[in-house]
Amino acid sequence: MEYLIHILIIACIYIILTISLNLIVGYTGLAALGHIAFTCVGAYTSALLALNFGVSPWIGLLIGAVLASILGIIIGFPSLRLKGDYLALATFGLGIIVYSVAKNWVSLTRGPMGLPGIPGFSIFGWEISNVWGYLLLVLVFVFITYLVIRNIVHSPFGRVLKGIREDALATMAMGKDITRYKLIVFIVGAFFAGIAGSLYAHYITFIDPSSFTVMESITVLLMVVFGGMASLKGSFIGASVLVIFPEILRFLGMPSSVAAPLRQMIYGLLLIILMIFRPQGLMGRYRFK
Amino acid sequence: MIQQLIVNGIIAGSIYVLIAIGFTVIYRTVKFFHFAHGVVYAVGAYLVYTFFVLLGLNSVFSFLLSSGLTALLGVGIDRFVYRPLRNRKASTLIFLIASFGVFIFLQNLLQLIFGAQILTLRTGPVVEGHHFWGAVITNIQILIIIASFILFILCWLFIQKTKFGKAIRAVSDDPLGARVVGINSERIIRGVFAIGSALAGAAGILISLETNIEPTMGMNAILKGIVASIIGGIGSIPGALLGGLFLGLAENLGIWKIQAGWKDTIAFAILIIFLLFRPSGIMGVKTEKEQI
Repeated sequence: MEYLIHILIIACIYIILTISLNLIVGYTGLAALGHIAFTCVGAYTSALLALNFGVSPWIGLLIGAVLASILGIIIGFPSLRLKGDYLALATFGLGIIVYSVAKNWVSLTRGPMGLPGIPGFSIFGWEISNVWGYLLLVLVFVFITYLVIRNIVHSPFGRVLKGIREDALATMAMGKDITRYKLIVFIVGAFFAGIAGSLYAHYITFIDPSSFTVMESITVLLMVVFGGMASLKGSFIGASVLVIFPEILRFLGMPSSVAAPLRQMIYGLLLIILMIFRPQGLMGRYRFK
Repeated sequence: MIQQLIVNGIIAGSIYVLIAIGFTVIYRTVKFFHFAHGVVYAVGAYLVYTFFVLLGLNSVFSFLLSSGLTALLGVGIDRFVYRPLRNRKASTLIFLIASFGVFIFLQNLLQLIFGAQILTLRTGPVVEGHHFWGAVITNIQILIIIASFILFILCWLFIQKTKFGKAIRAVSDDPLGARVVGINSERIIRGVFAIGSALAGAAGILISLETNIEPTMGMNAILKGIVASIIGGIGSIPGALLGGLFLGLAENLGIWKIQAGWKDTIAFAILIIFLLFRPSGIMGVKTEKEQI
């Protein structure tokens, strides 16, 4: 039972990531492939603050998310000049740079050895120690993320984003400063991805760079595309199915040396099949242009 | 010290050149990022491991067979993934994401078959290299540099001088015009994938002589190949040569003063600078200007 709840918590963290990436990729149409870099910054900031300065995870979470947003501006910057494949490549490259900093800045991050013993969250002096408490905590954050992003995409602001996606030139001609919009989208997306990272760090209590490889960014992108581009319901489904489904392999009694590559192979195949037959995803309304 | 770094840079650069040529020839014809090119390189290394170490075949025969099979793999990827997408007139970004799918699928297939641990082709003891101009270089490293240069010349002559090469250039520059004069573009694309993938396979074979192999080796290779192509000017074969050598040297000279772990950071910092300020690369082949 505990294991099942654990899987649900991980699924919720991925839902936060998927929704926030959907804002950038699905709603605004910017091909960003470095999403996990924001999670990495959120996780490391909050973990290091807690370990070195005893800062409460709540404050760490907020500072982590803010730093992730600042990185969002940096990663979002190429989107002002590039688009399509070239933007995908630039954000991918920035994702690798963040990963490689986490791995090589040993004096700060302890590199591949990782950071063990990260303290957990506590509410009014009560430390959350069991999985049920964490499930409740991540559900609250999923709800907040959903609410904020739903309000953004259904507002006039969100209509401008769709305008940028469908026809950037026309949107500019309408007098919209699309540079500002694009940067805000990256800031908001990065903020929530940073929160997801901090939640992950304090829940698992151990982080190392291998959790934040570019392959993870592709996995989150797969969740967005699978569930549906520009569909929030789709993001819930995409993240949940793709986190929970591979666990079935483990229940079938496969050793992890087989289950792990098999899971990735299924992801790869799913990406190919989706791109050929349904590039907008299950519930999506938009496909890459 | 500096001489050794330059030699190391040229060796690393030679491998990047081979990957970049294959990648850039394919890009030039089909106009999308064939990311799975990197996994074709890894498959090349694993094939030669299978034939040479596991089955004990003759070395030259193993090399040729592996290279041929990677060409076939490239054509297969095109047939079963890219052609359906072409028929649906998918956007280049969809091709790129499908290509990621192929990459992930094949890389994990390698891991499933051979395991995640590193393997090596080396059977004998480590041989000391030649001392040359204050640097050490082994026979295998000399072979890598020479083989890479010969393959570059052959590929360039093939594209520039043969009839098939002319047809490739025609399809690359103007697909519609090429169709009008009766060139079967599907056949040309198949040919391009065969050549490009054979080159990636050759690079994988050469690197497996020099270092250990592991299933994830394709990622680093394709990323460096793409960076080299973009630095040189994507689509240009001489550009791939320049870009590959430039990247190899920049990475290795960069770690003169800082730790070796930062090589990748240097490479991607160069990529982003080029993407932002000179997306057409050094050779400046005209690319579609990306704006807004």
